[in-house]
Amino acid sequence: MNVLRVSKWTIALFVLPCLLLYVCFVFVPILVSLYSGLLDWNGIGESKFIGLDNFKQMLFHDAVFWPAVKRTLMFAVVSMCIQIPLALFLAILLNRFVKKPNFLVSSYFLPAILSVVVIGQLWKTIYNPASMGGMLNQVLESIGLQSWTHSWLTDPSVAMYSLYFVAVWQFLGYHTLIQFTGIQNIPSDIYEAAKIDGAEGLKADWHITLPMNIPIIKISIVLAFIGSLQSFDLIMVMTGGGPAHATDVISTLMYNMSFLSMKYGYGSSIAAFLVVVCLVATFFINLIFNRLERKYT
Amino acid sequence: MNQAAQAGAIKPSAKIKSRSKFSIGKTLVFILFGVLLVTQLYPLLWLLIYSTKTNEEILSGSFFSLPKSPQWANFQTAVESGNYFKYLGNSVFVTLVTMVCVLLLASLVSFAISRFRWKYGQVILLLFLIGMMIPMQATLLPLMLIFKNLDLLNKHASIILPYIAFQTPVAVFILSSFMKSIPNEIEESAIVDGAGVFRIFWNIILPVSVPPMMTVMILTFINIWNEYILAATFISSERLKTLPFGVNSFVSQYSVNYGAIGAFLVLGALPVVIIYFLLADKITKGMVAGAVKG
Repeated sequence: MNVLRVSKWTIALFVLPCLLLYVCFVFVPILVSLYSGLLDWNGIGESKFIGLDNFKQMLFHDAVFWPAVKRTLMFAVVSMCIQIPLALFLAILLNRFVKKPNFLVSSYFLPAILSVVVIGQLWKTIYNPASMGGMLNQVLESIGLQSWTHSWLTDPSVAMYSLYFVAVWQFLGYHTLIQFTGIQNIPSDIYEAAKIDGAEGLKADWHITLPMNIPIIKISIVLAFIGSLQSFDLIMVMTGGGPAHATDVISTLMYNMSFLSMKYGYGSSIAAFLVVVCLVATFFINLIFNRLERKYT
Repeated sequence: MNQAAQAGAIKPSAKIKSRSKFSIGKTLVFILFGVLLVTQLYPLLWLLIYSTKTNEEILSGSFFSLPKSPQWANFQTAVESGNYFKYLGNSVFVTLVTMVCVLLLASLVSFAISRFRWKYGQVILLLFLIGMMIPMQATLLPLMLIFKNLDLLNKHASIILPYIAFQTPVAVFILSSFMKSIPNEIEESAIVDGAGVFRIFWNIILPVSVPPMMTVMILTFINIWNEYILAATFISSERLKTLPFGVNSFVSQYSVNYGAIGAFLVLGALPVVIIYFLLADKITKGMVAGAVKG
């Protein structure tokens, strides 16, 4: 039990500055956005209350909306199904085979702390056509794979995959670092005991490392999910959602609707949808992992 | 597994043998590590070489070669026509102000949540926790309108205020869970000595809370230093742009001066890379702690 008994004024002095700022710039905007989702408004002129029409339009009549949702979820799925297993595998190997793993871990991690602008523009340069100095196509040409060259970001059929790759590339090291730290915190006498029982190597990883690391895997999954929503910045820098909506995700669609097409009300209803997706997804991830943790630890 | 743990406790002398018989496997593992090192670092190295080439060298297709003579002029172009130091100064200012405000405000709230005897501490904490799940992009449009009405658009305040607001949830979470772990006896004896709430906060709790505050500082630094979209939406004056925004507008402006673009990207990455070289250990630990607690 806390011991400090203080007056209301003291509490207000400690709590209010931060709380007010937080509520004003996080909650009020969300509420404003929920309300503007009900308007037909270009953001400047007269607004008209149209009830749920924006949401109906978005969910049932917008040809680019559901593909954008699908890409957002794919972004999350790709990072969960490729990045995290790979990171976990690397972390296990690093822990077992490398005596001084810090150099490797911190080198892998370096891209994760660079600005999305630097990363995005760097990869844009790498993806450029060979005639504009793009490394990837130059490499492919020089080893005789002309047929593999693409205009990686302007060809609608490959642009999205080029983006997935950059996102996985940038944050692989981050997840490796998190998993690696998690594994290091597993007490080593558990492994020693398991060895006596005849479990070592892969078998020990399956029965000890994996279940013991479930809380850390959950963290990676939550981060990967949040990160896939933050793919927004990367996509804005690299393609802006183009060509022809081929790389639009929920948030780029929202941005382009409101700031380029000037459909402020419609953009707000997409924003509201985004918030709901986030809250629901976090809820389910927590639910699933609480079950898993109870079962295995 | 319980039995196994007991067995381990009884025989702590069990040793792990070095597993030399798997040397082929071991070689494969190290090849994997090497390949990854190349894929993670070579693009950055390539950028560095690219930034010192002339346009002709870049377009010639010899991506692997070094430049005949390094074109430092590219960097000069970037610094002079790209306003590099202006952007850098803005980024330092915005990041520092945000860091100081987040630390101060979040530690005040965390102190109240974790040490005061009052009813609503947990409610306030929950409120902040919800904020961690709200994506910042969803507030872009309404904030745009709010700032337009308050006449704050195109001022540093228009990015600093939301930056602080979006960094506080994780900061409050980290700081309050740490402050909760400080034993109560410390305050009890301080009260006996006649210290007031502010003295306890400033002279006792804050000095002990330096490690989690470092974590908060690192997280805030990385997030705010690299932030792009808010700055690009709310700021329009050349003289107010932060580094990521400045880099992006330079690149779109000088789209055919490849070497200079490369140079500006290198300069854009440089501050964080330097800090990372100096503080790699602290930064990796801070980012993990932030992730694990967030």
